[in-house]
Amino acid sequence: MRYPAFFKARSAMKLASIRPITVLISRELAIAVLLLLGVSFVVFLVLFLSPGDPFSSLLKEQMTSAAGSHPGESAPWYSQYLLWLANITRGNLGTSIRTGLPVLNEVIRVGINTLYLTLGSLLVTLLIAVPIAIVSARHGLTPVNWVLTMFTYVASALPVFWLAYIVIYISMHRFGLFPLAFGSSTQKWNWLHFMLPVLVLGLSNGTMGEVVRHMREELSRVFSEEYICTARAKGASIWKHAFKEGFLIPITEIIAAKIPYILGGAVVVEQVFNWPGMGRMAWQAAQDRDYPLIMAITLMAAIFVRLGSLIHRAVHIVVNPRSSRE
Amino acid sequence: MTAGPVLKIENLRTFFYSRSKQAFSRAVDGVDLALEKGETLGIVGESGSGKSVTALSVMGLVTAEPGVVSGKIGLKTDGIQKNLLQNIEDYVNMTQNNGRIMHVSKDNRGWQRHVDRHLRGVRGKEIAMIFQNPKASMNPFSSVGRQIQEAVLLNTSIKNPREAKERALYWLEQVKIDSPQLRYDNNPFGLSGGMCQRAMIAMALSSEPSVLIADEPTTGLDATIQSKIVSLLAELKSSVGVTTLLISHDIDVIKTLSDRVAVMYGGRVLEYGPSRDILSKVDNEKHPYTAALLASIPTARQIREKSYLQAIKGDVIDTINLPRGCRFYPRCRQVTDQIREQCKQREPDLREIASNQSVRCWLYFDA
Repeated sequence: MRYPAFFKARSAMKLASIRPITVLISRELAIAVLLLLGVSFVVFLVLFLSPGDPFSSLLKEQMTSAAGSHPGESAPWYSQYLLWLANITRGNLGTSIRTGLPVLNEVIRVGINTLYLTLGSLLVTLLIAVPIAIVSARHGLTPVNWVLTMFTYVASALPVFWLAYIVIYISMHRFGLFPLAFGSSTQKWNWLHFMLPVLVLGLSNGTMGEVVRHMREELSRVFSEEYICTARAKGASIWKHAFKEGFLIPITEIIAAKIPYILGGAVVVEQVFNWPGMGRMAWQAAQDRDYPLIMAITLMAAIFVRLGSLIHRAVHIVVNPRSSRE
Repeated sequence: MTAGPVLKIENLRTFFYSRSKQAFSRAVDGVDLALEKGETLGIVGESGSGKSVTALSVMGLVTAEPGVVSGKIGLKTDGIQKNLLQNIEDYVNMTQNNGRIMHVSKDNRGWQRHVDRHLRGVRGKEIAMIFQNPKASMNPFSSVGRQIQEAVLLNTSIKNPREAKERALYWLEQVKIDSPQLRYDNNPFGLSGGMCQRAMIAMALSSEPSVLIADEPTTGLDATIQSKIVSLLAELKSSVGVTTLLISHDIDVIKTLSDRVAVMYGGRVLEYGPSRDILSKVDNEKHPYTAALLASIPTARQIREKSYLQAIKGDVIDTINLPRGCRFYPRCRQVTDQIREQCKQREPDLREIASNQSVRCWLYFDA
């Protein structure tokens, strides 16, 4: 029963101590590396097993010259994969079969464009959805809130391509905004060409209703927690006490969960609006069976998705000390 | 010397409107209580008798949408003097038809805003509250010490965070938490239920309130911790001397801690007086309900002989369909043929039968 004083203190410290966040983050990163390895392997296998090859979709003379310059082409698939992996460790993602340009630069260029599009549209979604969610969590579904919530449900049910074409039609025929190509316009409405795809994807990427529902549910659940009652009883702000569990965690949760959907929507929007992003390139690469490009784009998309959940995990660990001991 | 009670609850009615039944559930139905400075007033009764709702009404924490509060709660302390329920009825709209309530609409938002504004400077500052279920009542995302520090900063004249921390540590010491320096940085999930309740008590007292409301402070803790919390509260009562409204269904807790007691049943006070007299097992004059509650506590002999526990027959009254007569009549075992009709037909009022002791029962007086 009589422990030495330092022992008692240490055991109490152990209870309170939280594993350094760097350890947790590096563990998450290690998991991410394994995940990327798995993704690349599966995609490689699928590509290998799928019918068609880059050479049948290219011109005859190009094919022969390409085949001649790629000695690894005839090797078995696993050695091809290992070669590809070995090249990656040297920062070499190969060259595009179609254009002959180094894949890494290409993917980074379009990846940044896609990042603009996805982050921009995510921002649009959140800017619309979160205030509605907060107000309806606090005050219940008043008629105004009900109408707004319905609007978000309808908006997220609209097909992206449909809305995109409608928007293009209206902007071209009503307001004479033309051409709608990314960055190619020198008109004073240039920023609009940038905004339109972002707005369209933000409105109808199919996640807005979900965001409203999730945020509203979580926040109103937290508002009915007993500790919020305590906060009110001691005269503190209930928003301050509800912020972490009711706002920060659900919002990162929903962002992490919805990034894949937004990326999927980006493919369509980039097609429609001629946005030189990853989705458009992926589409093109898939048609050409441009293996190195497809691999690189898949990896990039996986990295985006993983990054989302990484941010979610990091916020969760920082905010909720309980989760750091799991 | 004493300028009247610190907290005076007059004719408090807290009803919850049930839309499906088109009727009010009368959780608290005309309660009058007065809390003198320095005393501890206990409220005892079965679950569902309206004890906690009384406390929540005082703090303006009745948030359930159709909750309607009326009456008067006068708070009179050195700093403040006001009716906590001022204008609260303005936010409720009732449509009546032949005395029957057809529809109740409540401007929930306005109500909430009004209560929050009206009770600013009262919640925490003048009246602090301890809840049941201490582990759920502390914010799990913030350390215990931070939460106490916040209370200090909000409700006392200390505005310097470092001083507030010292103050918080002082209160953690006062509630006898071991190694307060370490506990300060602990999160509530790292503390046991008993320690959490101690921290809650520290948080409530750190605001230096005029009135402390302890809503079932020992519920949900195991028996040994319960007795420790009770003795802590008793110690604090003598050392700090804060005016307390203590709510519990545990008669022993009330008997140990309170000076006066109100026995509640079905939203009404059935008996009100010095707790020493009322809660003693000696057969003096008391309300049949109080007697039945006391009889349901097993005596040492009963425990030794493992005989049956004496429960009160029947269920707690449904406060939607109230009988015309005494609310306890359906479960009362002391009705005599003489007064049976009266019990069935008319509800008795709360009358003084001995010094300071009031009872709501036909046994002790006539019409």
